[in-house]
This record gives sequence, C-alpha cells and structure tokens, in this order.
Amino acid sequence: MHAPVDPRIARHRVPALTFAVFLLLIAASAAVVFALELGATPARMAAHYRGGRFAPAKTLDGLLLVAVPHLVAMPLVLFAASHVVGWARAVSRRGFRALLALSFGGAALSIACPFLIRFVAPAAAWLHVAGFAGLEAALLAWATLLCAVFVPWRAAVRALPGDRPLPPAEATLAARVPSRARPGT
Amino acid sequence: MRFLVRTAGRPRSRAPVRMFIAFAALALAGWAVQRVREGGLVPAEVEAYYLGVPGGAPLGSAALWEEVHVGAFVQGFTLFVLGSLLVVSPIPDRVRRALLVTAAAAALCDLLAPFAVVGLGGWGAIRVATFVAAALSSATLLAVVAVRFGSEVGGARPG
Repeated sequence: MHAPVDPRIARHRVPALTFAVFLLLIAASAAVVFALELGATPARMAAHYRGGRFAPAKTLDGLLLVAVPHLVAMPLVLFAASHVVGWARAVSRRGFRALLALSFGGAALSIACPFLIRFVAPAAAWLHVAGFAGLEAALLAWATLLCAVFVPWRAAVRALPGDRPLPPAEATLAARVPSRARPGT
Repeated sequence: MRFLVRTAGRPRSRAPVRMFIAFAALALAGWAVQRVREGGLVPAEVEAYYLGVPGGAPLGSAALWEEVHVGAFVQGFTLFVLGSLLVVSPIPDRVRRALLVTAAAAALCDLLAPFAVVGLGGWGAIRVATFVAAALSSATLLAVVAVRFGSEVGGARPG
C-alpha cells in the first residue's frame, strides 16, 4: 500500500523530532537521578524517605518541593506528546488509551508514592518502582512513536474516507512511500 | 496545541500565542540574567561552580543530572511550542529548519556541557560558549516567531 506523505505531518517534522529528543533526555536523566538519589532497591528507597542511620526523614516541605513542579511538568509533557501522536493517529485507539493510562498512571504514582512511603507504609516503595518504570516506558514509547510518525521515511499517511483532498500545491509536495499511519485533521 | 498552531479562521488564537511569546521572552531574559549574575560568562567562575574549591570534590553526578532533567523539560517544551508556531508562520522551510535545529542543538550542548567541565577538570569556556550559543539561538527563534507569527501570507491575514 502506498500513500502520499501528508504535508500537515511533514511540516511539523522538525519540532516533533526535537521534542522526541528532549523526551528521551528527560527520561534518561530521570532514570539516573532516581537510581542515584533514591537507590536501586525498595529498601533503600524507603530509607531515603523515612530516614535511616545517617540521614533524617524527609519533611512534608521537602516532599512538596519536589512534587509541586512535577505536578505541572509531567502532565504538560505527557499532554503534548500524546496530543501530537494522537493527532497523527500513530496507534490504534485501544493502544492509545492504554499508553495514556500507563503515562498518567505512572506519573500519578511517581508523585504520590513518596508521600505514601514517608507517611503511610514503606512497602509503597514497590509501588514507586512500578510507577516510575511505567512512566519511563511510556516516555520511551511516546518518543518512539513520534520518531515513527515523523522521520521522513515513515511520515506517510493513508487518507480516511471522509478526508478533504489536499490542495494541489500541497499534493505536489507529497511523495509516495509505504503507509502505516493516518493523520487527523 | 492545534488551537495554538492553526490560526486560519481562528483570530482568538493570536492573543494567547502573543502572551505565550511575551512570557517566553521574559523567561529567556530572566534565565540569561540569572546565569550571567552567577558567573556564567566567566570560565573561572563556571569551573569554580562545577569543580568546587581546589582540592575539593566536584559537583556530584546526581546534581548534574538534575540540572539536565530540569533544563530538558523547560527547553524541550519551549522549543517544541516555538517550533510549532514557526510551522504556521510565513517563513521559508530552510530558514525554519535551520532556526529550530540550531536552537535545539545549542540547548542540548548547553545542558550537557557541565559533564565536559567536570570530566576535563576545567575548560569552563565550553559552558560559556554553549550558554552564549543557546541564549542567542533561542532569542533569535523567539524573535522570528514574535515578528512573523500571524503576519500576512499572500494577501490573506491568517487568524
């Protein structure tokens, strides 16, 4: 099956791929900071928040200092990535919803778990690991999908039955390449 | 996002976009002033910040990566929005691509430069150069978007 590259997608290639690179950097730096500061095991993570022999327990102010910026940043990043991927219809509706659930669920757990570990139960460290792993996987998936949609040799689309035909000037720009994704309007 | 970038027939999108551009300009100016006041234009002060006092320990890995983490979010998101606005501005493709790629590359170099300073045990000039490049390229991108966004194309006034 061959279909034209949608000029609407092609025009957004550079910003979308730039965003994908920064998404990967966000995910990589988050993973390193997580491992260096919280520790690789749930036991060390619980000690980090609840205090141990050498470190005091985290205070509510200290936890809020980290949580509040993330409450703004995480939804913004996930909204932007999911919006672009959804606009390009890069995945099925079910897959898209699953990825959304993984992303926002992972983000919610990553923000809530430090409070749970500190004030409710150290066992919530397991939940923190799971939530963070889910969020990291989701960030990688969004970056991969952005690349899959916007790299030149993949930015192909198949017209939907009700789609408006492209104007001649735009249609002449379109190249014919194998199609996997369909754009929204 | 679509509301922001698709201006044709949507005059109301121009006001919020202009407000975003104004705030982005203020953020960029604030960031630049902050960096300059912290010694970001003086290689010796950059080295002192990352390497500590002579004989002391350099800034830890976690602190370096935290700086990358925060910067990647702020710069990545801002560049993405500015790049999307550039797409609907009447600018030649080649210029548009060059502006965004230059700003993104400079921002990435600036984010990762501290690792070079710590790894090389000096060379604060690298971070000074990346800071200047990132600030100038981002300011240029922002200025072009501010001037060209919503301007007339082929006699029709989009948005």
